[in-house]
Amino acid sequence: MSNISADLIWEITRKQNAFLVKRTYGGAAQFSRDPLNLTNIHSRTHAGFVNDKAVGIVPNEKGGVQVISKKPGSANKPATGLYKVTYGKNKSSRKTYKSIASQVAKSGYRGDLRQAAVARASAIRRSQRPVKEDPPKKTRGKHAAAN
Amino acid sequence: MASRPTVTIIGADGKATGATEVLPKVFSAPIREDIVKQVHTGMAKNKRQPYSVSEKAGHQTSAESWGTGRAVARIPRVSGGGTHRAGQAAFGNMCRSGRMFAPTKIWRKWHVKVNQGQKRYATASALAASASAPLLMARGHQVYTVPEVPLVVDSAAFTAAEKTAAALGLLKAVGAGPDVEKAKKSKKLRAGKGKLRGRRHRQRRGPLVVYSAQADGTEVAKGFRNIPGVETSPVDALNLLQLAPGGHLGRFIVWTSAAIKELDAIYESKSGFNLPANVVSQADLTRLINSSEIQSVLNAPKGVARTKRSQVQKKNPLRNKQILARQNPYAAAFAKQGLGSQKSTEGKGKPLPEAFKTQLTEA
Amino acid sequence: MVSAKKHVPIVKKRTKVFMRHQSDRFKCLDSKWRKPKGIDNRVRRRFRGTLAMPSIGYGSNKKTKHMMPSGHKAFLVSNVKDVELLLMHNKTYAAEIAHNVSSRKRVEIIARAKQLSVKVTNPKAKVTTEV
Repeated sequence: MSNISADLIWEITRKQNAFLVKRTYGGAAQFSRDPLNLTNIHSRTHAGFVNDKAVGIVPNEKGGVQVISKKPGSANKPATGLYKVTYGKNKSSRKTYKSIASQVAKSGYRGDLRQAAVARASAIRRSQRPVKEDPPKKTRGKHAAAN
Repeated sequence: MASRPTVTIIGADGKATGATEVLPKVFSAPIREDIVKQVHTGMAKNKRQPYSVSEKAGHQTSAESWGTGRAVARIPRVSGGGTHRAGQAAFGNMCRSGRMFAPTKIWRKWHVKVNQGQKRYATASALAASASAPLLMARGHQVYTVPEVPLVVDSAAFTAAEKTAAALGLLKAVGAGPDVEKAKKSKKLRAGKGKLRGRRHRQRRGPLVVYSAQADGTEVAKGFRNIPGVETSPVDALNLLQLAPGGHLGRFIVWTSAAIKELDAIYESKSGFNLPANVVSQADLTRLINSSEIQSVLNAPKGVARTKRSQVQKKNPLRNKQILARQNPYAAAFAKQGLGSQKSTEGKGKPLPEAFKTQLTEA
Repeated sequence: MVSAKKHVPIVKKRTKVFMRHQSDRFKCLDSKWRKPKGIDNRVRRRFRGTLAMPSIGYGSNKKTKHMMPSGHKAFLVSNVKDVELLLMHNKTYAAEIAHNVSSRKRVEIIARAKQLSVKVTNPKAKVTTEV
């Protein structure tokens, strides 16, 4: 509708919204829980729920990543307004990033988010790897003597 | 005016019935967060009941100041003897069992009059905001499964929803289930003394069901009234406290099709009130700036587009041939012809005249 | 555990705390800084040999402000969802588990942080027992 625009929504919601996480601690960081936010930073560029075109990357349940993007023009149809593509865990990361990059930037969708999208996909894939065990602690001093 | 936007009517099964309704004019009212907030703070105060401490509290003693000369503070002190209380300071807000500072009075200004025009403006604004899915999400409503915002459900579906189970089933079918669930799960014990004062729990607000009292009947509310977080309101008695709880725009509203049909007539019948109009008819600034009307009258940019390159390593043109070529276009030809390494062909020139040398070294 | 992004060295211009004037003489005076206001006060007038007063000049470089020695900034987390916010910021922020989180949930938070390679500043609190 003509009375609502992304600019207006941002002005209304930038101070406080349901996705925003504020801390008074350690430099007053402001993050966003919005699934359509690639960097989790509370800013106009990354605020997915505000903008007409937005990209989000979430971990896929069976490994790999899922890319969500908004269908422009169907902002008021939440159930059908999202476009979802899944890249499974068996697809090589290089191919995953390549297809994410082309999906996000090639068709002129949101070129500015390409790097962030690839970075997030990479971070998620890394987090899905098995966690390495910590090397055993070297005991020193009286603890070493006790063993 | 261009064709007004329409909204599809959802059936009891959550699928579009095929029927559409023209969106009432209220939904194109300007969204003014400042007005809504101000009106909300005023209106929220109008349900308060006066309270105060007892008029006598802290003054039920015959204390008098001892005056100066007794090496104690001049605060009033309890008279008499025979008890520990005698000689203790009284009355002051800093005293044990003294009165509080500025004791609260029942004649405090509890209620705030808000002008009707402002209230109507705020209500219209809140209604318009409820038609924007991003604002609903920003308010925290779980609307990811809702087929369309504003959510209009066929009135016929509500006739069968007189029982709570049926009403809950209807809300779930039209995609409002997650929001109801969220509100239900959010019930928490309130922090502080409010627990003892009839405000034991805190809870999120779920969807607001707006129905038409004439067409749907007031029985509609019965099915919904026991679902936690869900509120109901007849369309001719919409309240800002429900449309924008906490002064935050974007309440999730489930409309009956009869209610949304009635909305235009309701606003026309409000005497002396015209729906507020937008000062700027196009709210999208990017589209405004890039429109051909504006672009055609803009001056061409002055000067050359140049980006300042900070933090670029300075290249040595004597080593880097490309930098050299940029700075000195003749360099390529100079090098090609070997002019730099050419010896002068004619051997040594004539020696300078002696007179010139003496003149040089004279000074 | 991931190390922090490269940064300019952290310089603390002063590491001692600012003591309140005469807090060393009276036990009823807390050492917490209060600016002296007296007309004759020697500390206020910055006499030689008196206590130093805080001033803006002691402030840290904006680039290293709030930074821990590891180069991270602390971000208070209470649950796993909070840790996930730091997915893209594990080189600038470290998670600090809030004091009122139980040891059962701490284990979950620490495990998730490890997957996301987010540093936790207090991974041992309430989780390990003294041997």
